[in-house]
Order: sequence, then C-alpha cells, then structure tokens
Amino acid sequence: MFRKIMKKFVFLALFAVFSLGVYAYSVSVQNKEMQNALSIQYAKNISDASAKLQELDVAVKKTLLFNEGEGDLRAREDVWRLSSDIQQSVSSLPLDPKFSTVWMNYLSRLGKFAKEASEQAEPREFHAVMDKASKNLVSLSDEWSVATADMASGNLSMAEWQQRLNSEKASFDWNGLSTSVQQYTETVFPLTASESDSLKKKELRDIQEPAVTKEQALDRFKKLFPDVSNQVIDLTPSKPGSPYPFYHIRFADQESVGYIDITERGGHVLSFLTERPAGKGTMDVSHVRESAETFLKNAGYTDVVFEEVRENDTAFHFVYTRQEPIHKAKVLSDTIQVKVSKEDGRILGVNAAEYIRKETLDDQPMVPIDWQTFFHKKVTVQKEELVFAENQQGRQRLAYALTVTLHENGTTGTYKVLVDTETKEVLHTEKQM
Amino acid sequence: MKKRLRALMCGAVLLAVLQLAFSQDTHAFTERGLSKGTKGDDVIELQARLQYIGFFNGKIDGVFGYQTYWALREFQEKYGLPVDGIAGSATKKKLTGVSSYDKQFVMDNLRKGKQFTHYGGKPLSSQVKGGGSSAGSKKTQMPAKYSEDDLKLLANAVYGESRGEPYEGQVAVAAVILNRIEHPDFPNTVGGVIFQPGAFTAVSDGQIWLTPNERAKEAVIDAMNGWDPSENAIYYFNPVTATSKWIWSRPQIKKIGMHIFCD
Repeated sequence: MFRKIMKKFVFLALFAVFSLGVYAYSVSVQNKEMQNALSIQYAKNISDASAKLQELDVAVKKTLLFNEGEGDLRAREDVWRLSSDIQQSVSSLPLDPKFSTVWMNYLSRLGKFAKEASEQAEPREFHAVMDKASKNLVSLSDEWSVATADMASGNLSMAEWQQRLNSEKASFDWNGLSTSVQQYTETVFPLTASESDSLKKKELRDIQEPAVTKEQALDRFKKLFPDVSNQVIDLTPSKPGSPYPFYHIRFADQESVGYIDITERGGHVLSFLTERPAGKGTMDVSHVRESAETFLKNAGYTDVVFEEVRENDTAFHFVYTRQEPIHKAKVLSDTIQVKVSKEDGRILGVNAAEYIRKETLDDQPMVPIDWQTFFHKKVTVQKEELVFAENQQGRQRLAYALTVTLHENGTTGTYKVLVDTETKEVLHTEKQM
Repeated sequence: MKKRLRALMCGAVLLAVLQLAFSQDTHAFTERGLSKGTKGDDVIELQARLQYIGFFNGKIDGVFGYQTYWALREFQEKYGLPVDGIAGSATKKKLTGVSSYDKQFVMDNLRKGKQFTHYGGKPLSSQVKGGGSSAGSKKTQMPAKYSEDDLKLLANAVYGESRGEPYEGQVAVAAVILNRIEHPDFPNTVGGVIFQPGAFTAVSDGQIWLTPNERAKEAVIDAMNGWDPSENAIYYFNPVTATSKWIWSRPQIKKIGMHIFCD
C-alpha cells in the first residue's frame, strides 16, 4: 500500500518537475525571441540613423553649392527633414544618456538653423556655419559607426549592450564623444534669439530687485493666502543648481496640503498649488471668476485681463494676460493662471512664473488689412483684437488676433489667426475647440 | 361634502401632476449660467436641446466649446433674445419651451461611449451609430496644444513613476515630461519623451500600464495648464534607487518627496 502511494507520489513529482522544465524552457525561448526581435529593431534603427547621417552630410554639403534661390532652399529643407528623422531614430535607441542628450540637441539646432536661415543669417554667415557643420558631421559619422558597430551587426544581445553602456570600463568612450558633440554645438550653434526667449523662465536669474529674506517670503505667503498659511511645514531655499534662486514653502493647513515657490529676488510668486478633498458643489462660473479677479487685484496683478476659462471635474482654470497700455493689446507671453475651486470659489492655485519677467515690447506701424481679400470668401471674421505675440525669430510683434469661422461638413470650425500688423505675416493659426 | 372632498383631492392630484411636468421642463437645467469653457451635465442638456431643434450639429460631449457657442448665439438671435452666447435663465427657459430632452437616452449613450445624435423629428433609436467604450461625459478640457491621448499617457506615466509622492511631486513629474517636449535635447511629442529608451523606470518595468487614479490625472491637468513645481527641471531621480552616476552631475534645483529635480 505504502509502496503504491510512494510510486504515485514519485510519478507526480517527476511529472511536476518535467512540466516545470518544459514551461521554463518555453519561457526562456520566448524571452530569447523577444530579445532577438528587440535587438533586430534597434539594429534597424541604428542602421537607419547611420544611413541618414550620411545623407545629412551630403545635404549640408549641398547647401554650400548655392548662394540663394530654389536649389539652396531645397537643400536646407533636406537638412531640416533629415536632422529631424535622425533625432527620431536616436530618441528610440538605448544609448548613453549624456550622448543621447547632446546629440539630439546638436541635430535640433542644425535643423532649426537650416530652416530659419533665410530669415536669420546672412549668406556668408550661413556658409560659414554649414561648412563647420559639414566637418563635424564627417568626424561624428566615423565615431558613430565605431560606437554602434556591434549593435548594428546584431553581434550583441540587448543585455550585453546595456552592460557595456553601464560598465565603467566601456569599450567605447561615450563620454569623449559627448564632449565633442557638445563642443561642436557650442561653437557652431550658439543660442538663437528664439531659444533665448523660450528660456524666459530661466531669465528670472536676471531679476535686478533686492533679495528678500525667508521671513519676508513667508510674510508674502501669509498676506496672499491667509486661509492656508498657518501651518508651514517647511521653508527651504532652492538648491545651488537652480537657474534662479527661490524659496520653497510647504504647508498643510487643515484639509489643504500644498506649496508656494517665491523668488529670492523681489519676492515674486512663481507658483502656488494646494490639494484638498473635492466637494460636489458647482458654483456659477461668473462668481468663481469674480473670486479669481478679486484675488488678482488684491495681490497687485492689476494690469491683466481675462483670456479664457476651462472647467474640469473639481476646479476652473482661468488664464489672464497682461494688457499693454498703449494699444490695449494682450501680451500672450505674459500670463497668469488661476485655479479656483468649483465648490466654494477658493483659490487652489496660482501660476505667475511667466508674468514676472515682462516681455520687452516695441511699437510698430499698423497697416490696415482687408480681411475679405486676406481670407477665403467662405471665412467669416467673428472677432478682432490686438495682441503681442512671438514670431518665428522670437521677437514680440504687434498682431491682429482674429477669431474666424468656416463651415466644415455641417459644423462650424473656429480658428484663431494672428497676423503681424506691419508685415501681414501670419504668425500663428490654431484650431479652437 | 364627499363631492367637495373628491373635487379637492382631484384638484390636488392635478396640481401635483402639473407641477411635476412643469418642474421637469423649466427646472431641467441647474441654476448656474453656462458660458464658453464650462462643462458638465447641464452643458450636455444644452447641446442636446440645441441639437433637437437643429442648431447644434456637433458631438454632444458636455463641453461648452466654440461649436456650442455659435449654435447658442444663433438660437438667441432667432428667438429674439440678447445675443451673448451665454445660457442664462431667459435663454434656458426659452430653450426648454421649444425643445425636448431625453435625458436617459443621452446619458445612457454617453456612458456606453456610443456615437449618437439627438435630433428632433426622427426616432432616437435610429440615431445611435454604435461605437466604443470610452466615457464621453468624462471629457477633460485642456490647452489646445494637448490632446486626450496626451493626457491619458501622461497620467499613466505620472501614476507609474510617482503614485506614492505628494501631489506637488506628481505635478512636477508631469511638468518635467512637458519641459522635455519643449527642449531641443528631447523628442517633441509626449509619446516620444515617455518612451525614449531608459528615460523612465515605469516604462522599463511596465508600471506605466497600471490604471492611473484621478489624482494623477488632476496633476497632469495642472501641469498642462502651466504649473511647474519642478521649476523648469528636465530630469529627476530618486537618490536611493538611482544607478546612473551621470544623473548626479546634473545641477540640482529642488527636492520634492523622494525625487530630486535637476536642470
């Protein structure tokens, strides 16, 4: 009897071991197949990037053939398209993070420079830049081939590739290559006006106002938000790597938990945000807006006007823009966002980072434009106002902001079109929902 | 006496029935005024009623956008009301009087994510075109440059990366992803940034596919609306678990919860 039971037990145990073995084997085969598929995909992306890198080099050289005109334009478009394609390939590859970052940056600047060259650079300057870029690309192309040779030929598994990237004794000097690309970028493509402008928030470092103390920052917080500022958990200065110094204040007052960041220079509110349990009530939007505007007025933001509102499940998000005094034009880059509770109209958030550094605005002529000939006959201009908006070169331009409609398959499509008041250039077109 | 009592009771019943019918009609909307930018069940009703009488041809989704705005203005103009594109009490009363609203039909189809219309003059059952499973009434409003898909993917990333973090930290993670889109060193789409190999742990370990909660979604909406508690960071890492030495070389901006945010 005991023997019989033992036999059955042994049989069952063997069967279980066998089944587990088969299962483990099939999982391992599956894993290997997936690893192979992934390696093939990466090898393909590397090979695509390598081929396009060579095409890019040729395209850059082609731009050196012409002074101006159609040939030059096509070559520049090729540079822009190819650099964008390579960026896409590079971003989908498991590369050394530092190299990936600087390489993407270089390609982005090269493409952008080629695209915007007709507006920004003198032909001589353009040639000089492209000449340098061409030389860089040749040496980059060589280095890239060496760095990715094993992966591109399929000789390495994903695990081995990752191991190489993370190893301190890497067979390839990614760090050296990153440094070279960074140097190329800095020497060939210094920051353009547009990029400098997009770094507006970082320009907060240039605030010339006197520094405020921790206590003064705290006072500012208490004055602006007396409801939630009684229980401050923490007040810390920003870390030394911050592009602009600020105080970070965390609070937890009754149901509200949140933070406020205040610039060290001038004591300006960068942003404030609080989280608290959401109620079910929904106030009328006009009352909530009143609450937002009372707060803005009391806080000293007296030169802003309402731009738009978006209601979501628990709050309204309001957008206000600064209004320039001469033309009463809205400055679209100088905005303040206010988040207000739907339940009781309390201020849940304020974001004034873009408002602090005011845009420099120059006056410009206003040429009258006949909208009937400017737009297609099926387009109706519903509203016209003046705004200051950024053009492609990053300069603030006075523009007509037009809300236009167009009948599209039984529905009314609405678009916002910004037209430069002097050059009639269309600065921006956006479909409105 | 009996007759009088019976008449009184009949009168009371009639009054109750009339009041019920009346209240369904005029108090169907909530008290609040509806204007561009609002959303909710009362906007669904507004769109459905405008569609019933042929003014609104768009999708009934509960969001008061431009299509609803132009339709409402047209309605106001036709019925001699002040043309302001705001559904106040006079406009709502007029609209309720001249249109019909099958709340159950509309809400059921929205809940089921069906494609449907609510035109008067033809059977509603013939106006359901079928469709998917996403909840139409849950539509979120965000700045024009972002889509519902962006919101969904970002909420997944935020939940996968930082669900244990304070709300501020979750907004900061969303902001870092958005900062990367604008930065020349990174891809220029939400998907491109999130799925860049090795960029986010939640992608590598599959936690990005966990279902995000409302808090993560709210954090993404705040980041999309411009809040950036990271103060322009493009990297963040957990100092306890980070394996990359390079990340320590980045200039640090601030610490929120377990994450250090860097330039």
